[in-house]
Amino acid sequence: MNILCRSRLLISLVCRSSSLLEQKGVLLRGVSNKARCISAHLTSCQQHWLQTASVRSGFDTKRCYSDSGGSTHSESKDTFEEESHEMDDNNRNNGSFSQSSSETFTLDVLVSLLRQENAVDLCVIKVPDHIKYTEYFVVVSGLSPRHLRAMALYAIKVYKFLKKDGEPNIKIEGKDAEDWMCLDFGHMVVHFMLPETREVYELEKLWTLRAFDEQLKRIPAEVLPEDFILDVELTK
Amino acid sequence: MALLRLSRSLPGLLVETSSTIFQRNISVSAVAAAIQKMTRVRVVDNSSLGNTPYHRPPRVIHVYTKNGVGKVGDKVLLAIKGQKKRALIVGHKMPRDCMSPRFDSNNVVLIEDNGNPTGTRIKVPIPTHLRQMEGGDYSKVLAIASSFV
Repeated sequence: MNILCRSRLLISLVCRSSSLLEQKGVLLRGVSNKARCISAHLTSCQQHWLQTASVRSGFDTKRCYSDSGGSTHSESKDTFEEESHEMDDNNRNNGSFSQSSSETFTLDVLVSLLRQENAVDLCVIKVPDHIKYTEYFVVVSGLSPRHLRAMALYAIKVYKFLKKDGEPNIKIEGKDAEDWMCLDFGHMVVHFMLPETREVYELEKLWTLRAFDEQLKRIPAEVLPEDFILDVELTK
Repeated sequence: MALLRLSRSLPGLLVETSSTIFQRNISVSAVAAAIQKMTRVRVVDNSSLGNTPYHRPPRVIHVYTKNGVGKVGDKVLLAIKGQKKRALIVGHKMPRDCMSPRFDSNNVVLIEDNGNPTGTRIKVPIPTHLRQMEGGDYSKVLAIASSFV
């Protein structure tokens, strides 16, 4: 019973904010130019990055609840496209909210349930289309391993409640690792980590600055071994 | 080493042992099998254990499958620098069915016992069909990868 009430709460939250968004649509487009200039000066320092992301979050909240602390929305470098594309996207999203939010497990449902669970440092990254991995990459921190596990299990519960018959079940990856768990829902991937683990791996940096990431640059260039033969033919 | 094999097979041919590209007048064919015990593998992440040079290359000492053959997505046990470490196979030289990626080296990513990757970034391309494979936690390795195939 409890789970049903909580998920209905989520869905009502989503519907309420979608109506708010239509009013804010005009204001957000005005902010977009400023946001893009700021994003061009993206430095590798994480604090700066977080600040710019929070300014941009005003624009990117086409799918978000612009209230609030603790959440940053950022787009990866490659998706800073022309305004026309973004406006179309805005219109499309506003249109689709009314039909799909009540039925399917979209990004909005996921974000609102993570907020409800007091997730720390929620970060949603829109992955550009040429990376054929997923559409949205979400990283969340938790207060303790038990908190992470509870969030992951709750997300799965809500997903199971909202899914239709054709969709596959979701496996929690990393169940025995207490500091890092993953959920892979097709078009979205969610990572639940402890803050220390998050500092070590810096996934947000990797997925926003794809090729310009610091840790990647620090990897020394590969030297081919002496006996490496290019274009070798395989025996069948 | 292949250079020594070449010079032995053609006793008259002088081969310069430098790391520059040399012309060869014979055809060279390679063995391409999947990964099993005692295969030498290449560690592709940026962990210190995988990247510090050692006088012996990392070898597989056990493959965690029913038969002892390891394909992409299987866990193996490696002996690196005198220690045992688990790893995940992310590419091998053996051809798979057509339209799937085949790699020129047997690539492996080091993993802890709880499944977390030891390194933090992977420069080498990782096959995306790992995501559809059942029975393993590949999302973590895909999350630290920088390019996909």
